[in-house]
Amino acid sequence: MVLGGLLGIALCLGAGGRNHAANERAAKAEQVTFNRDIAPILFHSCAPCHHPGEAGPFPLLGYDDAAKFARQIAYVTERRIMPPWLPAPGNLKFQGEMRLSDEEISSFRLWADEGAPRGDAKDLPPAPAFRSGWQLGKPDLILRARKPYILAAGGSDNYWNFIFPTEEKGTRWVKAIEIHPGEKRVVHHANILVDRLHSSRTQEKSPGDGFPGMELRIESQTFDPDSHFFFWKPGSVPHEESRGMALRLDPGDDLVLNTHLQPSGKPERIEPTLGLYFSDEPATKFPMLLELQNDLALDIPPGAAQFPVSDEFTITADVDLLAIYPHAHYLGKELRASAKLPDGTLETLIFIPRWDLNWQAVFYYAEPVFLPKGSVVSMQYLYDNSEANLANPFHPPQRVQGGNRTTDEMAHLWLQVLPRGTPEQQEEARRSLQESLARHDIARNPADFAAQYNLAAMLQVRGEISEALPHYRAAVQLRPHDAIANNALGGVLLAMGNPAEALEPLETAARSQPNYFPAHYNLGNAFASLGRFSDAIGEFQTAARLDPSDSMAEANWGAALVETGDLSAARKHLKRAVELDSKNEVARQNLGEVERRLSSAEKP
Amino acid sequence: MFVWRGDRPQVARLLAVLTFLAVLLPPFACSQFRTKGIVDLDGRAADPFRIAGGKVVVFLFVRTDCPISNRYAPAIQEMSSRYEKGAEFFLVYPVRSETTEQIRNHLKEYGYKLAALRDLDRGLVRASETRVTPEAAVYSPDGRLLYHGRIDDWYTEFGRSRQAPTTHELSSAVEAAIARKPVPVAAEPAVGCFLPVEP
Repeated sequence: MVLGGLLGIALCLGAGGRNHAANERAAKAEQVTFNRDIAPILFHSCAPCHHPGEAGPFPLLGYDDAAKFARQIAYVTERRIMPPWLPAPGNLKFQGEMRLSDEEISSFRLWADEGAPRGDAKDLPPAPAFRSGWQLGKPDLILRARKPYILAAGGSDNYWNFIFPTEEKGTRWVKAIEIHPGEKRVVHHANILVDRLHSSRTQEKSPGDGFPGMELRIESQTFDPDSHFFFWKPGSVPHEESRGMALRLDPGDDLVLNTHLQPSGKPERIEPTLGLYFSDEPATKFPMLLELQNDLALDIPPGAAQFPVSDEFTITADVDLLAIYPHAHYLGKELRASAKLPDGTLETLIFIPRWDLNWQAVFYYAEPVFLPKGSVVSMQYLYDNSEANLANPFHPPQRVQGGNRTTDEMAHLWLQVLPRGTPEQQEEARRSLQESLARHDIARNPADFAAQYNLAAMLQVRGEISEALPHYRAAVQLRPHDAIANNALGGVLLAMGNPAEALEPLETAARSQPNYFPAHYNLGNAFASLGRFSDAIGEFQTAARLDPSDSMAEANWGAALVETGDLSAARKHLKRAVELDSKNEVARQNLGEVERRLSSAEKP
Repeated sequence: MFVWRGDRPQVARLLAVLTFLAVLLPPFACSQFRTKGIVDLDGRAADPFRIAGGKVVVFLFVRTDCPISNRYAPAIQEMSSRYEKGAEFFLVYPVRSETTEQIRNHLKEYGYKLAALRDLDRGLVRASETRVTPEAAVYSPDGRLLYHGRIDDWYTEFGRSRQAPTTHELSSAVEAAIARKPVPVAAEPAVGCFLPVEP
């Protein structure tokens, strides 16, 4: 009986190990049991995801569930694979930290090693009751995906975007969005972006289809940076913005849901739903997202195991830091963000010693972190493009550069900050932060279209037109056919009294986007300034057709008609202008003048 | 130095475990295992080697609730079709607490078309030196264990998977076995869900 003999030895060893563990514990406590020691940890830290309908692939709601996975639980908690929580413990605390204590982890190990004893029934705490459906109660508006996405059974990670059009009657103030991403076991994270210009719709093959892609590029026309995170990850509790910090949602705005999906082995139907919660109060506090990034520096040679990328930015006003969102793709290795305060203190804002894209998240601070004016926030990221990085999308490793595709890399850090002070001070702080950010982006990358355009727009709003001009020119040079940038450049040239030079960009804008009202209106003004009144009339006519409610288009149309001598037609448009806006003084005066001329012409 | 200081209940429990294992042991011989406890989904005793009819025999140990073995479903199904001429693939469900109904639903849900067996006494598990799901074992038609371990290196660490595997140990072993050549490696540790201890 060779076999029996071998087993005898194995069992003796087992008994020795077991007894040693028992000895250790005999000194401090009794045996670790499910009912007394394990259930409370399980119910608090595991069950929120590990229950039916949630992201955990199997339930952990009772003894039988847990005993089946006892060794697995011990293994994954010892290595801190579960619960998934990327930040290392530090000075600053986050909301909803999912870190187990060392003691909790050793309880799992002892329990598994002892054969998962159940213990005394009277020790068992009540099982947690999980609310199904909407965690924040009945939403004010429910948006459903127009078309489900069918995730294939096999293959690698997949990124899919759903567009949710909104058709509310008036402006709404959104205090929370509860994201139900669909089959939660396969959704790794989901993120909402507000698309006020419908810029994502062009990516859909047909309306409602959705479209693939890991990163979204949302265009925004107005100086209205998105400043809210709407993020879902397994186990996250829906975030409700604090009072006065609701997001503005205008009629027709689109919400775009970006999802990261991981095939499960069988085809999965992904059909997300969004629950929107409105506030009666318009926003009074306006947080901002400060984005640090250095994608240009990402050019990682194959094999590089510690490729550093960094960026830093000096904060130009007193702000409270509310949340942080570090972002890299599959080569990310170690992500750190810190702040050097004016008094020299160095504060670690977040440290992720072992980045894992699968568990990326927005992290809200338990308490806002005050960053005084002059603080330097920085990101220091390390990338691993070696074979040792299991997540490396290439085998063998290849040169990887910055970009939006899954196989490209990214180095981004978003900070959600709320300026301090009176409403006026906050307004000024937002402006100065935006301007500094744009200047910071341009300094690093003069080819950053958005930064050039935004800086120009900010300077223009402040009345510094000649300062704005070179940045508009740079923006147009970067995107020669962009209607918005060309129109803005033309507008500034007009304002500077240079209609001849304004013609070209304005004509480009009107050509690129024939239904873009401002381009036609400005072009009409440029023609009129140059004395080309019949050309001007054509443009004002187009402008008035595109926006029949615009009083100035009618007024200028009328004025141009006066110049061509068609007084009765002019009277018609000037009257219309005054009807549309009784306070339109230019139109009133011109109308008076036209009527005088007409009546004197009627006199013999 | 080893000093025995276990209290009484502890010793009693250990003894019970000893007896229990002793009862389980006899069905195994060194290379030729018996088919006791191996049943099909109708509960009938099954002999995979007889079913294979002289082909190479491949066991894939899975369970209904292991996310890693589930993610492998399309790959397992594909391999079983690819090698059907020379090898007979069987899914093996070694967790006794899973009901036949759960297993049937699982097969349907994941689109499995290959034969499924249950290993009620863990005889196949022990003979194949299986620790986790998914884990594979390749046998010669006469019942010699040629390869056991991972399917490939998709997972080499728990909780972290590659975008795609870069090695293919199971395919290599199956191909070698079909060609009656020595397998390149005899074992490669698998990463997956540990088999639960069941009374």
